Amino acid sequence: EAAAMWGALRGARRRPPALRRGLAKAAGPGSVRHRREAEEAAPVFQYAGKAAKRKDRVFVWGFCYSGALGVPSFVKPDVGWKKPRRIQPTPYRLETEEKISSAACGYGFTLLSSKTTDITKVWGMGLNKDSQLGFQRSRRDRTKGYEYVLEPSPIPLPLEKPQQTRVLQVSCGRAHSLILTDSEGVFTMGNNSYGQCGRNVVEDETYSESHLIHQLKEFDSRVVQVVCGQDHSLFRTKKGAVYACGWGADGQTGLGHYDITSVPTKLNGDIAGVNIIQVSSYGDCCLAVSDEGDVFGWGNSEYLQLASVTETTQVNVPRHLPFKIGKIKEAACGGTGNIVLTEEGNVFVWGYGILGKGPNLIETAVPEMIPPSLFGWSDFNPDIRVAHVRCGLGHFAALTNRGELFVWGKNLRGCLGTGRMEDHYFPWRV
Amino acid sequence: LNAAVRRAPRQHVRFLPAPAGGDGGATGLVARSPRRVLRTGPDVVSVAVRGPRFRRLKIGAGHRLDTKASGVFVLGIGHGNKLLTDLYNCHLTKVYTVGGLFGKATDDFSDTGKLVEKTTFDHITREKLERILAVIQGTNHKALLMHSNIDMKTQEAYELAVKGLIRPMGKSPPIITAIRCLQFALPEFQLEIHCLHETQQYLRKIVHEIGLELKSSAVCIQVRRIRDGVFTLDDALLRTQWNLQSIQNAIWDCQLKVKTELEKTLG
Repeated sequence: EAAAMWGALRGARRRPPALRRGLAKAAGPGSVRHRREAEEAAPVFQYAGKAAKRKDRVFVWGFCYSGALGVPSFVKPDVGWKKPRRIQPTPYRLETEEKISSAACGYGFTLLSSKTTDITKVWGMGLNKDSQLGFQRSRRDRTKGYEYVLEPSPIPLPLEKPQQTRVLQVSCGRAHSLILTDSEGVFTMGNNSYGQCGRNVVEDETYSESHLIHQLKEFDSRVVQVVCGQDHSLFRTKKGAVYACGWGADGQTGLGHYDITSVPTKLNGDIAGVNIIQVSSYGDCCLAVSDEGDVFGWGNSEYLQLASVTETTQVNVPRHLPFKIGKIKEAACGGTGNIVLTEEGNVFVWGYGILGKGPNLIETAVPEMIPPSLFGWSDFNPDIRVAHVRCGLGHFAALTNRGELFVWGKNLRGCLGTGRMEDHYFPWRV
Repeated sequence: LNAAVRRAPRQHVRFLPAPAGGDGGATGLVARSPRRVLRTGPDVVSVAVRGPRFRRLKIGAGHRLDTKASGVFVLGIGHGNKLLTDLYNCHLTKVYTVGGLFGKATDDFSDTGKLVEKTTFDHITREKLERILAVIQGTNHKALLMHSNIDMKTQEAYELAVKGLIRPMGKSPPIITAIRCLQFALPEFQLEIHCLHETQQYLRKIVHEIGLELKSSAVCIQVRRIRDGVFTLDDALLRTQWNLQSIQNAIWDCQLKVKTELEKTLG
């Protein structure tokens, strides 16, 4: 049957050459019918699988030497003649065993977590000099731990019910990490010199190769979001309260003083009684968004982040930022600049640095809107909206509802991921 | 065209050197009376003397349109040829309606070609197609910015980017500035594509590649240009309108549009 089919095909193709008169070609009904019959008889191929669902993927890019990208061949190449890669300038696919639901970048290390019920729920890679990735037992010497972890390695958590508890979110700071679970509170690891892990500061404690993972459970309700600043930690609970601990010299703990705090304490100020739905921090400045669309800030204001309400450069009590830009949905703090996303899908930036409105805008205390046409909005595509915004040290990222990622800001060691080493003064698609 | 009333002949005034005077150097110029033209009546000049006004017409074509495609095709007559070159240098986008059919792959990407393969297409949804179109548009947007040869670090580049006016003003590979799905009825679909420096075969290839990306195959069944720079389908003349009066009206109507566009882009 197959042979007959192929025969028909071949027969349709090789017709005996007709008598040619100049350029005239005899296109009789015979050839068209043959061709149609051959087309009907041709086999149909199927390339799409039955349950062809999209796989969620993790991509990494940036500075490689610390191993934070999780690809060992970047740091220790497989072949002897290759040099270690310093920067990965474009997104590189990272193979993971499980579907990763939360990822966080710290200063030279990364945490990945999955909502699985398997025993291994969190993986870490990169710098581990303060045990921010837990204790990674060295294979050469069982008593020592690794200082640099080059590929995603499981982090053992002291869970009571390891096959039921799920890890919801992870967050990384300069030298400490926070892991949020759904029923067993928050686990903290890493440097605790300022109490950022939520436990009392021990004098001359050695943090490297430490097995200590602290568990925090004492909050007014279940913790739903954890955020790490550089050396402080913020916890947001289901009831809308915010707790903080850690370094406070810039007022980033928001507790009304500039000392360190080693026990998570509830914040008051302008957010007392307000239902906070999102908190964000990166360096020493913090922002919180309430359910009514207001934004509150505290912490460092040396880069005009809070200059709209006060001239002081350190604010240690949460203050309401009276911006008239619409209802705010999401906020993100960067090292020197801040970004908010409104309900309409508009993006506003303020602070210092490359803010995204060309090289002329270097600093502003009042939020400036980034024109939506830079994210692909036009009369042709009026449905494009920005869905999420994030910040890094000197750069910003925005994710649109069509799944496109736009980055802009200072391109420090390839952190933008555009493949070019230059800074981008307006949103650029990755 | 030759039967139309023609302009009155221009008066020629010729300056002839005056007969040399006493002082050697300067020779003055003296206006002579206009050259006498043979006239047979007050305002009518005999055709027999001057001959037909137009013996040949210089007609030039704008952007190419191949035999399997249809749509707006711009022609320039006489002085219009120079305007055509200017319009080409403006690098304006062209808009096409491209019709495609899932399930087949042919060698020349259109439905008249030799069949290469047939595939299933039931798994394709409009959402998947739109996702592929978004990826195409994004990569082409980046190519647009890269080929435009503007330094991205300047304030002018930022302002042009906000207005969406960044585009390559020189030679560049084909770039799609916008693409969207107009109709989707398996196995057929229709796209609207705005592009620069393209050929119709490139558009057919894009349809084929969309089919491949969706884990199936596609052929292009229709390519129709609906806009070429400032000229749209409404300005185009149908086969029944190819006569002098309509052509003259069409030229007259388009003059203003072309002039403003040239001034805006080329300054």
